[in-house]
Amino acid sequence: MANVFVVTSGKGGVGKTTISANIGCALASAGKKVCLIDADIGLKNLDIALGLENRVVHTILDVTNGKLGAQEALVRHKQLKGLYLLAASQIATKEMISPEDMKKVINSLYKNFDFIIIDSPAGIERGFRNAIAGAEKAIIVTTPELPAITDADRVIGLLENHGMDESNILLVINRFKKHMVKKGDMLTQEDIKENLAIDILGILPDSEAIIVATNRGVPVVLGDDNETSIAKVIKNISLRLQGEDIPISRDLAQPQNGGFVDFFKRIFKRER
Amino acid sequence: MFFGLFRKRKKKKKESGSRTDAKDRLNSIVSSRRRSVPIQDIVPQEVLDGSEVDVKNQIKHYVSEKYNVNEENVKVQFEEHNGYVVIITNVVFH
Repeated sequence: MANVFVVTSGKGGVGKTTISANIGCALASAGKKVCLIDADIGLKNLDIALGLENRVVHTILDVTNGKLGAQEALVRHKQLKGLYLLAASQIATKEMISPEDMKKVINSLYKNFDFIIIDSPAGIERGFRNAIAGAEKAIIVTTPELPAITDADRVIGLLENHGMDESNILLVINRFKKHMVKKGDMLTQEDIKENLAIDILGILPDSEAIIVATNRGVPVVLGDDNETSIAKVIKNISLRLQGEDIPISRDLAQPQNGGFVDFFKRIFKRER
Repeated sequence: MFFGLFRKRKKKKKESGSRTDAKDRLNSIVSSRRRSVPIQDIVPQEVLDGSEVDVKNQIKHYVSEKYNVNEENVKVQFEEHNGYVVIITNVVFH
């Protein structure tokens, strides 16, 4: 029986798709059977983040239109045998799929996976309602800026109205900049937690490795640089989702871009 | 000139620490938001239960006749959007 998570935010561009792809990869690397569902109908980016864009044959729309079963429409990841993707359709619109359709899709996949992760589109309209329809738990992604946090707050309210318990809504703070927090120019994790009143699942540092990984179509947890700070934090998140008690302080203990260690690393890399 | 140098530094120090501004603004925004109105607050549950199926069936029947499609290809959904009840109809044309 799967744990069904929706990754959502309200605001666009906070890193939902990248985080969905990386958490999926980290869980599958740990031996779990994972299904990623791209609920961003009409835009579809999850296949690109995973480097699977050329392998997609069927989409979620083929499933909801009754052309084939959800299991048959899945694309298996190249490296990870336990990771599957149900891709979104680019030609469809969000209105062509209903929340009921989404529930049916998830029900048909439920028994075959340990984790189902649904990547929600930005906004709080139909696409969002589709994405949350079959989810039991939510991962809210925010960056430490006011527009993203206030949108996250709105989304938490909508999830609660939808019947989701507050304890099942978890927060991931993305693009956290320790040096700005130190200078007093960025909200701390406590400030954000205090206002959103939900538990923190992970704090991801701002990282250039993400851009490089996306360019290559290899999620950062699977790339050559899988010992970067961001990859380590994603692994921490994946362990927490599997029930391990990893303190959040470990996410913050990771060195960040522009830090002292990074400075020396860059010097030595250049010399080579 | 000499004193002006100190004045400038002092001003710079005061300008830093935008975290406090962000925290205050966040508190004031978040405290007045959260929780939208559920559909049951607009239409009572008993009224909704009684009429929803009937409204859905009538829309399905009307649309299927108008566009000459099977009723199974017409999906009708009730949703609440920011305090409004929205009826969404999807028609699959083959």
